[in-house]
Formats: sequence, structure tokens, C-alpha cells
Amino acid sequence: MTTYKSDRFGDKQLGFALYLIGELIMFATLFATYFLFTPSAINPTPSETFELRTVVITSICLLSSSATIHYAEKAFEKGKEKGVWIGLISTLILATAFMGFEIHEFYKYASEGYTLTENLFLSSFYILVGLHAAHVLFGIGWMALLCYHYPRIPNAIYGQKQKIFTYYWHFVDVIWVFIITFVYGPYLF
Amino acid sequence: MTFELFNRTFFIATDVLLAYIALIGTGLGVLYLVNRANKWSVIKDYVTTTHHRKIGVLYLLSATLFFLRAGIEALIIRTQLAVPENDFWVFQGDKFNEAFTTHGTIMIFFVAMPLLIGLMNVAVPLQIGAQDMAFPYMNALSFWLFLAGAILVNMSFFMTASPNAGWTAYAPLSTAEFTPEAGNDYYIFGLQVSGVGTILAAINMIVTIVRHRAPGMKMTRMPLFAWSTLVTAFLILIAFPVLTIALYILMFDRLFGTSFFSGEAGSPIYWQHLFWIFGHPEVYIIVIPAFGIFSDVISTFSKKRVFGYTSMVVAIVIIGLLGFMVWVHHMFTVGLGPVVNTVFAITTMLIAVPTGIKIFNWLFTMRKGVIHLGTPMLFAAGFIPTFVIGGVTGVMLAVAAADFQFHDTYFVVAHFHYTMVGGTVLGAFAGIYYWFPKMFGFKLKDGLGKAHFWLFLIGFHITFFPQHFAGLNGMPRRVYTYTAEDNIFIFNFISTIGAFMMGIGTLFFVWNIYKSFKNPDRCGNDPWNGRTLEWSVPSPAPEHPFDPMPQVTTIDPLWEAKRNRGGKLPVANTSRSAPIDVTSWQPVGFSGLIMLFSLSFIYHVTWLQIVLGIMVLAFFALRTLTDEHTKMAREGEDHDNI
Repeated sequence: MTTYKSDRFGDKQLGFALYLIGELIMFATLFATYFLFTPSAINPTPSETFELRTVVITSICLLSSSATIHYAEKAFEKGKEKGVWIGLISTLILATAFMGFEIHEFYKYASEGYTLTENLFLSSFYILVGLHAAHVLFGIGWMALLCYHYPRIPNAIYGQKQKIFTYYWHFVDVIWVFIITFVYGPYLF
Repeated sequence: MTFELFNRTFFIATDVLLAYIALIGTGLGVLYLVNRANKWSVIKDYVTTTHHRKIGVLYLLSATLFFLRAGIEALIIRTQLAVPENDFWVFQGDKFNEAFTTHGTIMIFFVAMPLLIGLMNVAVPLQIGAQDMAFPYMNALSFWLFLAGAILVNMSFFMTASPNAGWTAYAPLSTAEFTPEAGNDYYIFGLQVSGVGTILAAINMIVTIVRHRAPGMKMTRMPLFAWSTLVTAFLILIAFPVLTIALYILMFDRLFGTSFFSGEAGSPIYWQHLFWIFGHPEVYIIVIPAFGIFSDVISTFSKKRVFGYTSMVVAIVIIGLLGFMVWVHHMFTVGLGPVVNTVFAITTMLIAVPTGIKIFNWLFTMRKGVIHLGTPMLFAAGFIPTFVIGGVTGVMLAVAAADFQFHDTYFVVAHFHYTMVGGTVLGAFAGIYYWFPKMFGFKLKDGLGKAHFWLFLIGFHITFFPQHFAGLNGMPRRVYTYTAEDNIFIFNFISTIGAFMMGIGTLFFVWNIYKSFKNPDRCGNDPWNGRTLEWSVPSPAPEHPFDPMPQVTTIDPLWEAKRNRGGKLPVANTSRSAPIDVTSWQPVGFSGLIMLFSLSFIYHVTWLQIVLGIMVLAFFALRTLTDEHTKMAREGEDHDNI
């Protein structure tokens, strides 16, 4: 890899890191909103809404996907094509499973009457966790495109694209850790 | 006004009707002129460009147009307030609310911001020895997103649904319960879309300044405009996401039935907190770049290195940091308690210290300098006393106990116009006159520039100085009339006269641009005997201007070269790779898409939301499938194979 390429890739890395700082502030504001309005004066309370089982399953899916994308990253560095595919596809599957369970969770809450407008705890829960879910969904599309790119574009460029994606994916994961800790945690454990 | 069509009676307010006629008339006129002069290729060139200078020009052009619109609103406001119990045209009651709301919103977000970001785009890469902004494609995207947001807010008037809850959109007034019309939805989506563009622009600025400086251009050698841009970009990066989320939550309140900011459980104060946590840094975002412009202009026109360079840098950094710790001074009367008010009063007053340092440094830069009073320097000189007055009233307002008297009166209006017009607008004018040659290769006319300056500055003081007294006599802001017994008629009347003077001054500016294009005075690369790198490259600045790349050894490198090297900058041995410039319809197309997407939310058309949402996402795929880095790498590979 010649230096002129890494110059421009360095720009991208810094730019994307700055973008993630912006995102972090957005999520921080939503967390603050959640703390402010939870628990609400009117029911339901978080404890009667949340269900441990789905939270555990979704967390296992998403947290382990950070490991699989890391595996893809390492495989790429070692030049193992098969490893990249394994890492990427398993991340994609885990992310899709996460989305499935998350949709199921929201659907279940909604069918129990715990909707967006029920009280402010639920409102702030949905706009925070929903925004995170939107990020996961976006990430799934991104990964699909990476899969499309991998056999088609120059290897060095693919590596850069994948690297930027891993930053994004780890970020989405870190936000989920915060969500477990501060949104679900106090009312489940 | 009502009229009959297809056996139905339609009503249209005469102001809207007139605006339609004016817009369509001007639009057709412009189309005709463009067609006659056969300039479609120029338009295409600018619409598809990713070059920093052209994007800067686009920012400045659109900001000027919005300045005229919001300026007309200011004149309407002043006319309505000229005499007691006035009944000017339709501008009473809610129409007046709409006028001051869009005046404020447009002036802050679609005039002040783009004027400064435009100047940054034009000047900063050239000042630091960068070939372009770090991400040229994203730069174009930033501009077009900004414009999409601006058009959304501006078109609301034509859809007879202007936002009407003030530029601060305080809840619960801004929630659907009290303003169910589409107006405040336009506000939400307009600001959201342009806000995303601004965040991307800030990222671009930071990466450009951190990674694209010429060899030897250490941070400690950067011109102060570049420094102020860097600090501003960080402020944007931290403050705008808070606005993004505030608007996101307000959107849920208005469109999806939540009640964060109203109702029994909701908290209107929370909106105020979120808005001002963004809003106070925002006012520094639009004044710090102006400080940078003045520093460069004053130094160039005094033929002296800026006095106290290090303290200037430290001062803007401190102002930036303190900017995040003062937001409650907008909320002293909310009732957060004496301790909170005291803390925020003290942090607010502290800001006077670094600002004072800057004022003294500017004065000392001029002292014993060889001062040339060109138009940019006139604006800089006019800025100093004007801004000091604004600063003094700022400290008065920071006294929490006294603020209970000043709050929401014309005293506040006078104060922030002294800082925003005295700082930002004068700064932007100085910057436009200063860098105009770098944009087009010729200067704006000096004589007309001086007329512009004097009319504008004197008009400004006539407008806003009396408003202090109107405020102290108890005139609340945002009222559309008053009585003769209120004892504020004379202040308002004088103020109105001054406003029209400012308006005439602005017309001189527009006339100046027209005249200068009509018969340009070509002035070479360095019309002001400049000190910094941008004056070493051709005017107008070409793509890849630095060839060969200069080696920077000092602050004011060009001045040093003129003194010691016969004007030749030393050449650097190595330089980093330049960003990839492309021409693309994608940024403008994407913004159009985002605009339609926003409209589908504003007017609650669910199927359109879904269709356009999918198209917006598809655009990301299109982008990654066509990106220029991949293309270039492919070409590189082919090259290697040969």
C-alpha cells in the first residue's frame, strides 16, 4: 500500500471518528431524556414492562457480533479470504437475529398495551432503543453491501471500507452495552 | 384577498400573493438572463462541483438571498412597530409572530451560518496550504443539505404555514396542541436537514485543518481564521447533535403523539435546556469565525503581525469551552434557584475576560501599524466599538438579579443584535470584501463598499441603540404593537428609520456585486499585500492551487517571503496526497430527495414516507457503489498491470 492511499484513509478514519463523537452526543442526550422521565408517575413501570429473556437473547446476539466482525477484521489482515466471509456472514446473521428479537420485543410490549404514547417512560424508551435499532438496521444494509463489494473491488479499498464499518459496528455495540446497563439493568437485575 | 375559481372561493393573504408574484417574476427573469447570456454550463458546473471555492461561493450566494428575505421581514417588523397602534398591511397578531420567527430562524441558521461556512470554504484550505477540503464530495453534500433545509423553512411561507413559535420554538407553544399547523414542522425538518449538513461540514473542517496543512504549517503557525474555524467546528460537532435530538423529540411530540414537552408529565423546561445547551454554543459558533476574520483583516491592513498570537488562540479556545457552561443565562427567570443562577451568571461574566483580551489585541495590532482603510478594514474598525457595546450589555444581562428586569424586553433584542450584526454580519462583510478577489479574480468597488459600510453601520446604530431604552422602558420583545402611553414611540420611530438605512446600505452591497461583475477591476493574486498563503496562489483559486507545495517556516509565511526572499516561498520536498475532486449530480439529487422526504412527514403522507425512505437508503448504496476512491484504486491497478 502506497502512502498516498493511507493519507486519504487516515482522513476517513479521523472523519468517521469525529462523526461517531457526534453520534455519541446524540445518544447521550437520549439517555439523559430517559433518566429524566423514568420511572413515570403513571404506570406501567419499567419493571413490569421489561422481560429478562429477550434482553438476554438480544444482548448475546449483538455482543457476540462484535467478536465476529473483529474476527473478519483479523482474517482480512492475515489475507484469509474464507475467514473474512465467515466473520462477515456470521455478523450479518447475528445482527439480523438481533433485529428479529428486537422487533418481537417491541411487538410484544405493544400488544400488551405498552405503546409509545402510554407514558413518558415508554416514550423515552422507544425513541432511544428505537434509534439504536435503526442503527443496527442500517448496519445490516451496510454489511450486505460489503458482501457485494468484497469479491468486486480492489482488496485494499475493501479493507478500508470494512475497517470503517467495524468502527461503526463496535460503536453500535457500545451503545447497546449502555442500554443494558442504564435502561434495562436497574429494573431487571 | 378572496377570489372565485371553479365555483369555489379561495382565500390568499395579499403578502403571500405578492411574494408569489415577486418570486415567479424574479425566477423567470433570472432564467431569461441565464439563457440569454448562455450561462447554463456555469450553472451546471456549480451544481455538480465539489471544489471548495465554488462551494464557498454557493454558500455565500444563498446566504445573501436569504439575507434579503429575512431583511425584508425585519423592515416589515420595523414598519409595523414604527408608530403606536399601527395596522400595517396584514402584519398583526399571528402574522407578526410568523414574521419575527422566520426572521430570526433564517438570519441565524441560513444567513449567519452559511456566510461564515462559505468564507471558511473559500479561505481556510488556501490559508493552510491544503489542495481542497479533506472530503470534497461530502463538502458538496453539506452545502446541498444546508440548502434543502433552508428551502424547507423558506417555502413554509408560500405554503401559508410559517413557523410561528419564535426561533427558539419554546414548548409547549411549539407542540401540536397549540400550533397544529404545519409551520413548526417546517421548522423542525428544515433545521434538522440543514443541521446534518452543518455537522458534516464541521467534520470536514476539522479533518482538513488537522491533516491537510502544508509541510511546516504547524498549528502554532496557522492564521487565526483557520484557528477560529477549528474551534468553531468542534463547537458545531458537540452542540449540533443536541439540537438534532431536541428536534427529534419535538418531532415525536408533534407527529407521533408523545408529550415530552407538554401535558401533565412533560417538561417544557427540558426543551429550554436542550435548546440552549445547543443554542448558546451556537451564538459562539457564529461569532468566533468573525473574530478570526477580523484578526486576519486587521493584521493585513495594519501591515503588522497580529498582536499576542498565542493569547488570541487561547482566548478563542476558552470562549469555546465557556460557551458550553453558560446556557442557563437564557433561563434566569425560569426559577432554577439562586445557586444555579449565580453559577451561570459567573461563568457568563467570565467570558468577558477572553473577549476583552481579543479586543485589546486587535487594538494593539493596529497601534503603530501602517493602517490602510480599505473596505474590509473599515468593517473591522466599525466592529470593535460596536461589539464592545454588545459585550457590555451582555455583562449587564449576566447579572441574574437585573436580568429579571431585562428579560424578554427590547434590551435583549438590542444586545444580541449588537453582537450578531456587530460581530457576525460585519465580520462576514469584511470577509466577503477581503476574499472576493480570491473567489473571482477582481475586487468589489471600494467607493460603493464605503457607502455600504457607512450606511449600514450608522443605520445599525440608529436602529438598535434606541431599542436599549425601549427595553428599559418596559417594551417586551415579540409584541406587534404598543400604545402612545407606553412612552416608547420615539425609540421605535428612530429605530425604524435606522432599519431602512441598513436596508439601503445592503442594496449598495448588492449593487456593488452587480457593478463589479459588470466591469471588473482585475487585481492579480495579491491585492491587499497579504501575509498568508492564500495570497500566494492565483485568483480565482484553481483546483490544486499549491504546485509546488510551499514549505512554511513561520507565521505569516508570505509576508516573510516578501521581506526576505523576494516574494518566493520556499518549496517543500514532500507533500501529502490531495483529496479527490469529482463532479457529481449525487449531492444535489440526494438533497432533493431528503427535502421531499421531509415534506412527506410534514404533510403526513405515509406511503410517500415509505417510498422516499427506501430511496434515501438506496442512495447510500448508490454512493458506495460509485465512490471515487474505488474508481481511482481500480485505475491504479490497471496502471500497475501495464
